[in-house]
Amino acid sequence: MADAGPSRRFLPGDPRVAEPYRLTPQLALRVAVLGFFALALFSVLFLRLWALQVLAGDKYLAQANDNRVRTLRLEAPRGAIVDRNGLVVVRNTPGTRLELWLSDMPKTWNARLAELRHIAQITGIPTRRILAEIKKHGEDPLTPVVVQRGLKQDQILYLQENQPQFPGVHLGESYLRQYPYQSLLAQVLGYVSAISPEEYKALKKNGYQPTDQIGQSGIEASYDTYLRGRDGKAQLTVDSRGRPKGAATVQVSPASGQQLRLTIDINLQRAAERALTYGINLARTGSEGAYADGGAIVAIDPRDGSVLAMASNPTYKPSVFVQRDPAKLNAVIGPKAAANNFPAFNRTIQVGYPPGSTFKPVTALAALMEPGPSGTGRMLTPYTILPCTPDYKAYGQVFNNWTPLIDQGMDLRTALAESCDTFFYRLGDEFYALPPNRGHPLQSWANRFGLGEPTGIDVAGETTGLIPTPEWRRKAFSGKQYGELDRTWKPGYSIQLAIGQGDVLVTPLQMARFYALIANGGKLVTPHIGADVELPGNRSQPLRVLRRFGAQPPQPVSIDPTALQYVRLGLEEATHSPLGTSSGVFGNFKVDIAGKTGSAEKFVHVRGLPNAVKLNQSWWCGYGPFDAPTIVVCAVIENGGHGGSAAAPAALKVFEQYFGKQASATLKASD
Amino acid sequence: MAIEAVDTRRGLRSRREPEVAGIAGALRRLDWVLLAALGATVAYGLWAIDGITSRDPGGSALSRQGLYAFAGVVVFLVALLVDPDNYRRLYRPIYFGTVGVMVLVLLMGAATRGSRRWIDVGFFTFQPSEFGKVLFVLVLAGLVAARRNAIGSPRTPLEVIGYALVPILLVFVQPDFGTALVYLSALGAVLFVAGVRWSHLAILATVAVAGALAILWLLPAAGVNVLKPYQAQRLTGFTHPANDPRGATYNLRQSIIAVGAGGLRGRGVIGATQTGLDYLPEHSTDFAFASLAEERGFFGASILLLLYLLIVWRALKIVASARDLYCAVVAGGIAFMFMFQVFVNSAMTMGAAPITGIPLPFVSVGGSSLLTNFLAIGILQSIHLRRGGRRRP
Repeated sequence: MADAGPSRRFLPGDPRVAEPYRLTPQLALRVAVLGFFALALFSVLFLRLWALQVLAGDKYLAQANDNRVRTLRLEAPRGAIVDRNGLVVVRNTPGTRLELWLSDMPKTWNARLAELRHIAQITGIPTRRILAEIKKHGEDPLTPVVVQRGLKQDQILYLQENQPQFPGVHLGESYLRQYPYQSLLAQVLGYVSAISPEEYKALKKNGYQPTDQIGQSGIEASYDTYLRGRDGKAQLTVDSRGRPKGAATVQVSPASGQQLRLTIDINLQRAAERALTYGINLARTGSEGAYADGGAIVAIDPRDGSVLAMASNPTYKPSVFVQRDPAKLNAVIGPKAAANNFPAFNRTIQVGYPPGSTFKPVTALAALMEPGPSGTGRMLTPYTILPCTPDYKAYGQVFNNWTPLIDQGMDLRTALAESCDTFFYRLGDEFYALPPNRGHPLQSWANRFGLGEPTGIDVAGETTGLIPTPEWRRKAFSGKQYGELDRTWKPGYSIQLAIGQGDVLVTPLQMARFYALIANGGKLVTPHIGADVELPGNRSQPLRVLRRFGAQPPQPVSIDPTALQYVRLGLEEATHSPLGTSSGVFGNFKVDIAGKTGSAEKFVHVRGLPNAVKLNQSWWCGYGPFDAPTIVVCAVIENGGHGGSAAAPAALKVFEQYFGKQASATLKASD
Repeated sequence: MAIEAVDTRRGLRSRREPEVAGIAGALRRLDWVLLAALGATVAYGLWAIDGITSRDPGGSALSRQGLYAFAGVVVFLVALLVDPDNYRRLYRPIYFGTVGVMVLVLLMGAATRGSRRWIDVGFFTFQPSEFGKVLFVLVLAGLVAARRNAIGSPRTPLEVIGYALVPILLVFVQPDFGTALVYLSALGAVLFVAGVRWSHLAILATVAVAGALAILWLLPAAGVNVLKPYQAQRLTGFTHPANDPRGATYNLRQSIIAVGAGGLRGRGVIGATQTGLDYLPEHSTDFAFASLAEERGFFGASILLLLYLLIVWRALKIVASARDLYCAVVAGGIAFMFMFQVFVNSAMTMGAAPITGIPLPFVSVGGSSLLTNFLAIGILQSIHLRRGGRRRP
């Protein structure tokens, strides 16, 4: 390499350069001149820098601190939330917020602490909390620390009268959320609170400010961009102690947030929440639901998926997030929440329950649609008669029917109407026995019906539930503490799944969506709560819709209309035939309602009992009117016993409100 | 005389192994001090700009600037691989290409703040006059190299000036007076390093001073305004900043306050009210130095200046060790232009130079400027890589 020829040399000696340059004395002189020139220029820079920053630094620092034009944030009122008929569910009330401008506060620690103690005395917020807030704020002199948002009139007056004692304290205009319907729709609405440093970091580029309020859950969070509005800006000249000189000049007026219209009918919502309480009380007074302590009811329009009511119990008043009283907050989202059975949970979308017999239409439709074991025909026809026995024995196990007082052959309609478990056990067994190359058709159909999948509702935080498969089992039990036996999918799981028992979990909304599919002729709707955002109208100007979110077109799931029709007939018999499981509840109601009860066994920890006990989760799902359904209702009463005894009567209350008709006295119903 | 010392060491090594070939040799021949200075300046600049822009409505410019720096490294590596002699041979196409693009900018460039400097190519608004700085030096050096046997003749400087005036005027009418000044400084440096006679240089300097006086005082008095009024005011305003507190020198006053308030240790990102409250306009570009001085103080600003000085020192060394006249003139032009930009930009924020819109190398937000500086240092390294073997016959 070293003696490589000139042509292979990578570096100098390029023959193209005709006359190699040499460092002549003349060039050396000129480079030296440039060097001295550079040194001279940099010397000028250093001297000037030294003169400004070190010699005259204090003078300029004082001038910088005298630059006292403050940019104030004018808070934009957050958009109101109204129900489908325009009734205001959430609105704003003007409030006064107390904010601290740290750069104007006393510089010495003791004086500052004394002032903070004084503020603590007035506001009732512990000094410790104010200090923590300041610390979180990072001593930033340019944005104020908001200590309290909803100051009371006497507090405002005191602060204004004694302003000289409070350097750095500024009273700003603010808006507070107000809830005319109190606790109604609490979990769906969610709440608003100060942006956290992490959220600010993530949202900074979207124009969020460190002092912003932001929707933290529910609708307030998912529609935050529409509701929040745009803050304005004003400039205020202050003196060296931070006292304003003259009025603030508005530079940018705040633009208030848009009004959000929900698909919810607040009157139906009230009925649903009352129905839940009614159902829970009914269960408690009954023989089997002594531990009933919560539940959920959801009502949707099967035609487009708009949510009409979404109730979850226990509940709370969203105003606790406005007042921010620590004791009340703790009871909702703090350490005391467990003792109150987690009121902040929206049980319609955030909790998965075993569906029990309400799952049977899934099994029925799957069996009606799925080819038989040989690949021809169907696993089940509407006319197939299967024995409904007191129990079903298979694989050395006994699977009991919910009632032993039956032993006859029946078709699908009757099996649905009377909720015969053994009929469906047989179907579950047949699904299990299908050749392996067919996959898991029952689970696939359940997925296709929207179970085990997110519904796509426009409220954050929904759980997907679980449709168990052998693959899921292998993965879920892969830990060392499990044996091979735990990981194996046993026939019993398929048999149990057929009646909605075992590991299967669904949310009430998922079930409502599935029943909507039955009601609307086989189309899967996307549930949604936001209808549109709009500019509220007034006398001179009509309401103007800015953006319609609207329903997404329902997605057809290819189901044979005949198959669907037989399931519908079964559900109608369930509410009307003499042995129908909820005929006692719906049989005399003036509108033709079809639906299915469910009593799903679940091991639950109950307060006062050391070990988990097996309790029935009371379910009812159905729709009406039978021939042209406009509403689907799903109700769950936790630990409420049989479906007919708690959930069905609760669901009836919702139908009563919806159709404006009272039912005559109800009879006692069974599963 | 540092030059001598280095030369001796090189000489000793090359006695055994006259020409080092291959990648390893190339690596050994790199100016590692310059490379380290480049890396340190870029890193320091990114850190500085993160602090300067962290309170801006759009958030910190760090990620975007970092992306440009990454692209800059690529530009640097490409420049390293290209033998500068290619630029020498291609000086005519480069010249006409640059002039063509500048004309294009004038014709169709997006109008931004009343001036037409940028071409929008979608993901990037490209500022030809920035890249033009380096190309301008390459072209002028090419001209000089073509006339290397007639440097002493008065025709040579006149011809070079003739070529140079076209792009200078094109930048001037954009209008980008500051960049036009940078081009002028490069022209002066090229003539100086090329070896134009002292007497000729003296005449040119006299003409330049007379021209400046004419533009600023004589012609306006006669009713001819070559400069826009705000340009003239900025140029002369720094000599009496207190005159006009809210007008043309408002920026300057706020800038001086910002620098001064920084003190020895700086006010930190959060405490820097001049930057954070937007008293200091354009703090991410033209007034980046003032913002840095406010946030990081005398220490922080001095570190940056020392890094610049290190780069200038290495660049001048490269002038001395260049293998031929062309390379020496290119290196000299780049070195002086770099120094000029640093000086004018930082001095203007301290009231020691006229206010012009010149970016601070490796600090000011802007992709074109950052890439151009990477290109400039890349060419310096390329020249150093291919420096002359033995200088004494």
